Amino acid sequence: MKYKFLVVCLAVVALSTPANAQGLVGKLKQKANEAASKALEKKVDEKIGIDDGQPSESTPSSSTNSGTSESRSRAQNKTGGGLVSTPPDVKSNLADADKSFKSKSYGQARYAIQQAMLGVEMEIGQKVLATMPASVKGLDRIAESDQVTSTGYGWAGLTIQREYAKGDQELRAMVANNSMMMAAVNMYLASGGYAQTTNGQQNWKHTKVKGHRGIIEYDDSSGYKLSVPLGQTSLLVWEGINFASEQEMMSAAEAFDIDGIMKMLGEK
Amino acid sequence: MLLNRTHMKKIFTLIVLSVIFLGTQAQDFDKNLSTAQTAYASGNLEEARFAMQQMLTDIDMMIGQEVLKVLPTKMGAHNANVANDNVTANAGFAGVMIHREYGSGEKLYNLDLIGNSPMVATINAFLSLPFVANSGDGTQKVVRISGYKAMLQKSVDEERKVTDYTLQVPLGSTLLTFTAPNTTEDEVIKLANTIPVAEITKLVQ
Repeated sequence: MKYKFLVVCLAVVALSTPANAQGLVGKLKQKANEAASKALEKKVDEKIGIDDGQPSESTPSSSTNSGTSESRSRAQNKTGGGLVSTPPDVKSNLADADKSFKSKSYGQARYAIQQAMLGVEMEIGQKVLATMPASVKGLDRIAESDQVTSTGYGWAGLTIQREYAKGDQELRAMVANNSMMMAAVNMYLASGGYAQTTNGQQNWKHTKVKGHRGIIEYDDSSGYKLSVPLGQTSLLVWEGINFASEQEMMSAAEAFDIDGIMKMLGEK
Repeated sequence: MLLNRTHMKKIFTLIVLSVIFLGTQAQDFDKNLSTAQTAYASGNLEEARFAMQQMLTDIDMMIGQEVLKVLPTKMGAHNANVANDNVTANAGFAGVMIHREYGSGEKLYNLDLIGNSPMVATINAFLSLPFVANSGDGTQKVVRISGYKAMLQKSVDEERKVTDYTLQVPLGSTLLTFTAPNTTEDEVIKLANTIPVAEITKLVQ
């Protein structure tokens, strides 16, 4: 009896202490989080078809499902033409923006301008891709990997990408315009972040491509990377895999019309 | 009475200035629209794009001015310091920033709106997890302001022996923040409920 009373007293003291109460709540939260995570993981595993070796609750079972509960699995999509990837029409969106602005629907006007910008940026991207060579140092362009990405927000930027390959050799050219990362790149170049050292292996150095200053880097696993800032807000990056030497990488980069790309992006 | 007259005069001046400002902004928008259309038609894509970025700034400034117009001129016993009203457009990066103050000194209340705020995702995540948002120590809780879910944070200044409150209301991608120093929870909720959140939401989205 005495023992029971002591246990009850201890429990009351433990629960009445705020710190312990918080600890208890914390533990409850942790347990709830763990349970939620496990449930989520299980759902994901089910979706991607991974068997965790444990009997699944959602697996139709002849003994437990009486027929009243829904046990049919979801049908898999086998048809559909995808989405139409036509860029927004610039002229009609500008007209919409004008109309919305005049009727004081500023949110609508903003959306229409963003769509128009998206359309213009996609066109700029396609023009830049058109100036890039069809083949570089014997590597052929992979047409399906041509990519123009834009959000239409202006600040998030426009990225244009093309890939070339032959055998195990690859070259990727990427143009980033109006990108936030440009500020970081320019700061890095200006601050001497790439400080030249004499000891150890030199994995990067300053270089020039057709008169434009840049930086070339080398890594045993990822190969060569050449970055050239263009004007105030653009950056041109080449990544070369299995290039025999720095000279080979540099001459591959020289096959690109850098001044033409700059002009198209409005860079000085 | 004299104070009221001065206050009225300030509000009148603000209205006149707003009308002039909005007129100028509308002209800028029309000019940039015309530049964008001409540049695009002649194939000068980069110039068209730049003009459109300017148009976004013009729109953000207009939205900011419209929001200031719908905000109350008085919050509780505190008048709006309309001279410190501010609208900043950032050409899309953080969106428009709108600022208004009420009261003065120890009782200076700030009302800020930031478009495309990176904080919105975090606050929304908190609001969807009530057991996380309502902290056990009472410094943070979820409340409703004019029907919108909001996060109320309390901070106690031990030195000054006062309690300050910060209320954050996510409105789509815009974050409304109301800071009220040296007050009570009931008071801050009462004051926040005078903010026309629905009207603001309509303007910023």
